[in-house]
Amino acid sequence: MSAQLKRIEQQFAIEQFYYREARMLDNRQYQQWFALVTESISYVMPSRVNKLVDNRLRGKEEMISIEKELERSDDMGSPIREEGYAHLFVRVDRAYKANSWAENPPARTRRIVGNVEILSVEENTYRVTSNFHLFFARPGSDNFIYSGQRNDRLIVDGDSFKIDAREVIMDYANIDVPTLGLLF
Amino acid sequence: MIKISDLVSDDAAYISRRAWSDPAVYQLEKHGVFGKAWLFLGHETQIKHPGDFVQAYMCETPIILARGEDNKIYANINSCSHRGLPVCRADHGNTKRFVCPYHNWSYKVDGSLVAIPQEKMVSQKPDKNTLGLKPVPRVESWQGMIFGSFDESIEPLDSYLGDMRFYLDAFFDRFENGIEFAGAPHRWTINANWKLPMENQLGDVNHGPFLHSAVIPAEANQEIFDVGLSAVPHPGHGATFRLMPEGTPNENMAWGMEGMGAILGGSEVKEYLFEIQAKAKERVGDIRARMKGLTYGVYPNLSFLWSNTSFKVSHPRGPGKVEYWSWSAIPADAPDSVKKILRTNYSSFFGPGGILEQEDSEAWMQQFIGSNIDFADDKPYYYGLGMGDEKPHPELPGMVSSTANEYYARAFFKRWREALESVSDQDANRIALAEVR
Repeated sequence: MSAQLKRIEQQFAIEQFYYREARMLDNRQYQQWFALVTESISYVMPSRVNKLVDNRLRGKEEMISIEKELERSDDMGSPIREEGYAHLFVRVDRAYKANSWAENPPARTRRIVGNVEILSVEENTYRVTSNFHLFFARPGSDNFIYSGQRNDRLIVDGDSFKIDAREVIMDYANIDVPTLGLLF
Repeated sequence: MIKISDLVSDDAAYISRRAWSDPAVYQLEKHGVFGKAWLFLGHETQIKHPGDFVQAYMCETPIILARGEDNKIYANINSCSHRGLPVCRADHGNTKRFVCPYHNWSYKVDGSLVAIPQEKMVSQKPDKNTLGLKPVPRVESWQGMIFGSFDESIEPLDSYLGDMRFYLDAFFDRFENGIEFAGAPHRWTINANWKLPMENQLGDVNHGPFLHSAVIPAEANQEIFDVGLSAVPHPGHGATFRLMPEGTPNENMAWGMEGMGAILGGSEVKEYLFEIQAKAKERVGDIRARMKGLTYGVYPNLSFLWSNTSFKVSHPRGPGKVEYWSWSAIPADAPDSVKKILRTNYSSFFGPGGILEQEDSEAWMQQFIGSNIDFADDKPYYYGLGMGDEKPHPELPGMVSSTANEYYARAFFKRWREALESVSDQDANRIALAEVR
């Protein structure tokens, strides 16, 4: 794939990549999924807090901006996840052990990825944002809906892409799902 | 009707399923346990400046923990004196006033009522001095850890913690300028009884090699078998750790070295942790410098996971739901680059996204289901492992034994039973169960 692809072709290629990725994750093909990430991957989930409204900002969009609710990797707060290749390896490896009890039997999941927007293209690097809803049914427990946004940095890799950075912004107010440790 | 003594056998080797699941038991817990204990509210570093506040809970009661204009620490119930709405809606921040949204009664961060907008339209002026937020009657700090109690006559925090301080100081006193909490707590709800997350950290490291065998390497478990100890300095409190032999290399001894952050974090963090360990003997003494901590518990619902450096509170939300809070704790004077790495020692394995904790929360949910099943009230849970193995130790306070001994839990439940008996019908010590099953 060349960087000169027309916009519509780029959009198509990125969307197809996300659909393939979602299919792998829902089919529990995490080892195949793991081949879609770079060894330098940064995988971050900020935490989300309820901040005091700053009265001086009233009337401005900044007053209620989502940015203010996030404790991100660059801040001195406490993100929920800050992971790299090794962490993701442990997660993938764990999934294929009989004693990973929370996944025995495994949860049924279905991801719908949408609102895919290419924010920028520079040479081989794409910045893309997308939304997802994830249905999660854990045997012996309950059904849950996860909702969130992914901010990705994708690197062109032959005919496909590799994920070099992913920030997952969850839409929780109170965390009432069994785990935020899934591959989103 | 059953007797409270039927919930916990005299030797605490048997714990009734009802202790975990019955709404009537939970009502007694609210008064007997949470109404009469020191409950953890927050850390002083979270409210450094006048006007700083954080939210907290004492059981299900919402609390505002704040630093007043006079620089003193205040804890008040977050509920307006007029119609009961919460006056503080943010998790944390800095403010001069808490304003109730309904009629704009406003309060200083110390809880005193300063304005009733409707006052000028009525002839009889309310006495604002009597209409402040309800203060938590007792608030005390130790090593920056702030606790509150609803019991005005409770013993001082220092003596309540007692010899638990010896074990906590083995961590706190390693750092010249103490520790701080990174950011806001992670808070999540689990369909479980509050006591099981507590018990998990109070002394139950022995579930590790089994529940977590998919992730925890066999060598780490072997180390716990070989040199792991479970200490109960006072019933209800507990500390587990490995007492490493003299001459153990820093890689295997220093605090923080087993976390993913330190393992992957490069030379800066390693050097920092070795430096802390090098000073440990001088700062906390030989035996405590060789302590490589695992999990701690402070009665009734505070935990400290030393190995991954996180404080946790198990806030009940009824018998079958818990709102679990956890913070990453890091040395206050570490460089920011090191702090950012050390906080992942916690988050990679624990908290709502943790690789290990997902197994724990699943186990806790399934235990609550087991505690509710029909036709099993005559089959209480067995807590008798290691009965009588606990002994005094020449250098460590309290009763000490291997980590497989469930003495820590028996001691907790004996204290818990006494707490329930102290608030129940004194004649019969009986409670009406919520429903027949």
